[in-house]
Amino acid sequence: MKKDPLIIAFCCNWCSYAAADLAGVSRLQYPGSIRIIRVMCSGMVHPDMVLHALQKGADGVMIAGCHLGECHYIRGNEIALARAEILVETLEDLGWESDRLQIVHVSSSESERLVQAFCDMHKRLAALDQTDFAAVEADE
Amino acid sequence: MKGRRRPRLSFVWLQACSGCEISLLNSGERLPDLLNKVEIVYFPLLMDRKCGGEGEFDLPEADVGFVSGSVSSDEHLTLLYALRRRCRTLVSFGTCATHGGIPALRNRWSAEATLETVFPGTPGQPALPAEVPALLDRVYSVDEKVRVDFCLPGCPPHPEAIAAVIETLVTGERPRLPGKSVCETCPTIRTGEMHRTVRRFLNNAEYNSEEPVERMRCLLEQGLLCMGPVTVGGCGGPATPLCVQARVPCRGCYGPVRSEGNQLLDMLNVLASHGVDHRSIVDRQSLLRFSGAHGLLRSVRKTEGVVLMSEKGNKKPS
Repeated sequence: MKKDPLIIAFCCNWCSYAAADLAGVSRLQYPGSIRIIRVMCSGMVHPDMVLHALQKGADGVMIAGCHLGECHYIRGNEIALARAEILVETLEDLGWESDRLQIVHVSSSESERLVQAFCDMHKRLAALDQTDFAAVEADE
Repeated sequence: MKGRRRPRLSFVWLQACSGCEISLLNSGERLPDLLNKVEIVYFPLLMDRKCGGEGEFDLPEADVGFVSGSVSSDEHLTLLYALRRRCRTLVSFGTCATHGGIPALRNRWSAEATLETVFPGTPGQPALPAEVPALLDRVYSVDEKVRVDFCLPGCPPHPEAIAAVIETLVTGERPRLPGKSVCETCPTIRTGEMHRTVRRFLNNAEYNSEEPVERMRCLLEQGLLCMGPVTVGGCGGPATPLCVQARVPCRGCYGPVRSEGNQLLDMLNVLASHGVDHRSIVDRQSLLRFSGAHGLLRSVRKTEGVVLMSEKGNKKPS
């Protein structure tokens, strides 16, 4: 059975949420199973929030922030990056594939880049769940 | 006390070290008063009362049951179910019962690998003594297996806190425990400047032993892996946290601040958001040394952990 991978995308208010807004206005297409949550800064996304999303059934989590060096709060996106690094390691410890987390940096004008990241992530998760399902079937 | 029955307490231990019970006995002058107010019906550390075994336990009825230790074998499970049936209020007593504690460290390996390491026999066939009960697939905290009415963490819990909890529980009210982190009661000096790497636990902190602990620099800022930010407070009572009193970093023995928190993830997050290189931690999974139940510590699938354990078991002469 195929299911559409559910992705929670935390987008920062200043760049990536604006980019998502622009993507909407420009009528760019991206998978409908992506749920965008606006946060003031990607640096405020606590690892617990990512873990919570996965535990509650999300297939993947994206954290989208401003380009490094362009953070509205000076170094919030660097914190987000450092947190993503520890998350990748801990997710493996906890039994999730580290591919389920993706961090992207987009400016408010780069709506195509954001949509591309959404589509890539969606494709990757679909492939991941496919292999998972195949592995389970093989086990049985 | 005439006319009214004294509240009955029952103490049961599972995979435990008896430290929590000793801590209760350590509550000093409060203890005789406490013992006058309650009736202890079952307490293997203090009194001899046989309650079966061989698959079924016949525990006495109690108003409040205290269970220390984590659930790691079939026998523990039977005993725990028996206690739950026989008491109205169940308290998970100590960090092993609330979060898995030290016994849950074995969750990093499968039960088979553990047995092969501890009882090395022929490969794939550990030399098990007959009295060893069947291990569960992993070590569970008490609340993963039965309904728990109150959690009292600590390794061991502070004696005053235990006495206070018992006194409150027997009046039928719900006790209150500190809900903030160890750092909240820690008096050391914080400047906001962090050491960029984490030093090994064996390193000493820098301090002047003539000066009180209030003049010491925060241990985490000195680069020692102090679990204070991610550990719930209460170990020192109202005073300075115990490990910090001894000028060593907090080990995290009270478990996470929010009971469903993950000390490993939260601690790495603390380091990451302060620009400390988390790769300088030698064994990051040991940050869950006190809270490995609830599925947080898992057997490593592909890395050397499992292989090392079974190899060690196999190499011993059989």
